[in-house]
Amino acid sequence: MGYLDKKKTDELNKIKRERKIGNLDSPKNPFDYYEREYGTVPRDTERAPFQWVSEVAYKNVHRIVARGYDTTELMEEGYGVIEVLFVDYQARIPTVEEGQMLNYVMIMALEDGLSAPAAISRMVARSKTFLTQACGASIMAFGHAYGAYSAFGNCLEHYLDRVDKGEFSLEAAAELLVKENRHDEALGVSGLMLKDPAAKRMIARAEKLGVAGKYIAFTKEIVKAAQNAFDEPVDLDMLGATGATMMDLGFTPEATWAILAVTRSFAAGAHYIEEVEREESSRLGQQLTPIEDYDGPADRPVPPLSDRNKYAKSAICRTPDEWNTRFEEMKKVRGSGFRIVEEIQDPSKKSGIKKVGKL
Amino acid sequence: MNREPLIRRKTAISYKTEEKTVMRGYNLSELAEEGYSFYDAMFVLFQNRIPTENEEKMLKYEMGVFLEHSMSPSAVGAIGVSAGRPNLPVCVAAAVSTFGGVHGPGAAHGYMLNKYLERAQKEGKTVDEMAKTLVDEYMDAGRPVMGMGQPQHIDSDPRAEPIHLRQEELELEGVYLEFQRALEKYFHARRKKEERSYVGVNVVGSGNTALMEIGFSPNAGWCIGSVVRGFSCAAHALFNMKRGRAWGASRNEPMVQMIDLSMIKYTGPEDRIVPKQEAQQEYARKQKEEGEYKKWVI
Repeated sequence: MGYLDKKKTDELNKIKRERKIGNLDSPKNPFDYYEREYGTVPRDTERAPFQWVSEVAYKNVHRIVARGYDTTELMEEGYGVIEVLFVDYQARIPTVEEGQMLNYVMIMALEDGLSAPAAISRMVARSKTFLTQACGASIMAFGHAYGAYSAFGNCLEHYLDRVDKGEFSLEAAAELLVKENRHDEALGVSGLMLKDPAAKRMIARAEKLGVAGKYIAFTKEIVKAAQNAFDEPVDLDMLGATGATMMDLGFTPEATWAILAVTRSFAAGAHYIEEVEREESSRLGQQLTPIEDYDGPADRPVPPLSDRNKYAKSAICRTPDEWNTRFEEMKKVRGSGFRIVEEIQDPSKKSGIKKVGKL
Repeated sequence: MNREPLIRRKTAISYKTEEKTVMRGYNLSELAEEGYSFYDAMFVLFQNRIPTENEEKMLKYEMGVFLEHSMSPSAVGAIGVSAGRPNLPVCVAAAVSTFGGVHGPGAAHGYMLNKYLERAQKEGKTVDEMAKTLVDEYMDAGRPVMGMGQPQHIDSDPRAEPIHLRQEELELEGVYLEFQRALEKYFHARRKKEERSYVGVNVVGSGNTALMEIGFSPNAGWCIGSVVRGFSCAAHALFNMKRGRAWGASRNEPMVQMIDLSMIKYTGPEDRIVPKQEAQQEYARKQKEEGEYKKWVI
């Protein structure tokens, strides 16, 4: 379509200028509203046209190729999911031992009882929707506390970088990491696996297969440091064991996060199925919330609309002190969000593909 | 630390104590230590059984070949979501959620096969006869036959026939493959008779047939197919998050970006004057009377 021609544009703008539209002609606006164009931006012929850019895979009518390998040929040669994960994320075929280790990790990551991914999947299932939506939703359970593989791995990398730069020894790095992150859910050391040997067995398997490397070594130091620093008993947990093992297999923290979240999603699918098979659907308005669970304001009459000014309380704060007072007051209102302070960061690490698309 | 479950349910899938995690009766650590594969674990999860070696091989092939598909709705969904730079799992969740009635409709294919197999059994017809019935009923009604045709692989899906062949090589030929092969035969014959172009079997038609043959329910098969694709979609999202430009609209990139303003083609009503609110009622009544708006209603 492109921009509307000048004559029509001028006609439309003239009518609008004469009619006036709210505050759009205010001199405070950094533009003359009635000089604006209509229609869509014309095609850009100065730059290469848009294409889906990927270094992971391509396909044509006859082939699907990941990192140079035809995926059908990969299967015909006897490879499977385990190997394609190395291909997609690391552009390489794994050694037999690496493949065996990833297989082990994925079995361990598959199921975790009625924890968050399964619970979310079941909740979605109750609204009578597609299985795929429940599986997708379950993946969103993986954050920076539950299944915090990205946070854990990036934390390891941060301190190991400093070791590499000669700032301190591995042992000192582990001690500092524990000191600076002792309350972080992504520490990889906790009291969760004191009676379950699964985490330690995973590390033992990695060592037996000869795939244990610097991340497992560092994680062991972190365990030691945490055991010295904490009053209560702690040990390596599944996050630490799995995260360190995956990174020794060459996966980045983000790749680890994605692979293990998706792995769990298979089981979330089974939970969806069982929920549909064994439980009923939920209808809008069906679920009650017992008053015993409620600790908000007591029941009160709705003031007449005509008395709004008598009851209404403005949120406008004219000074920082007023602002601070209100902020502190609002912290008492659970669910208002004032008790949460967080930084919404860009989780990506780089931006832009300058090498792609030059005409 | 509160270790109570988030929800209470009777479940036959798994339990988890402080000592172990047990799925369908098997301690997960022991399953892994014993040398079972992740594919074996899929059988335990969905079917409560250890598979035969050939069944395991078949699942390995099917999952592996379905994992990566470059730019499909699922990968594009993941990349689109990644443009706003949320956390990575959100991109993957979106990707898996793209699987519906058209993209990788494994469950729909499975239910279709089951429905007609049940009819064959009840009506005393052979599998071959019922496959012809299916093709005729679907095509007479103008409905797409599930598992046939792929919009990108127009000659034939490069994964499809090799899956059939592997299933035959592994001697896993059962009622589903017999049905699917017959379905394809009658489908091709009818299109040929109607002088329509060749439309090959797609990866759902062959892959889901294999999954059903090795004992998975339609939804379990759909889960396996849809979720395994999540692995590669995460890689595509990650590539874009690490190497691509956030937002996908930068004018500083040498290539026009995904949602550059020039990528928008508008085909709706022409630019028009917003009525003053005083004139709203009269304007709106007239608009309803004229009814031109109806052609834009979606």
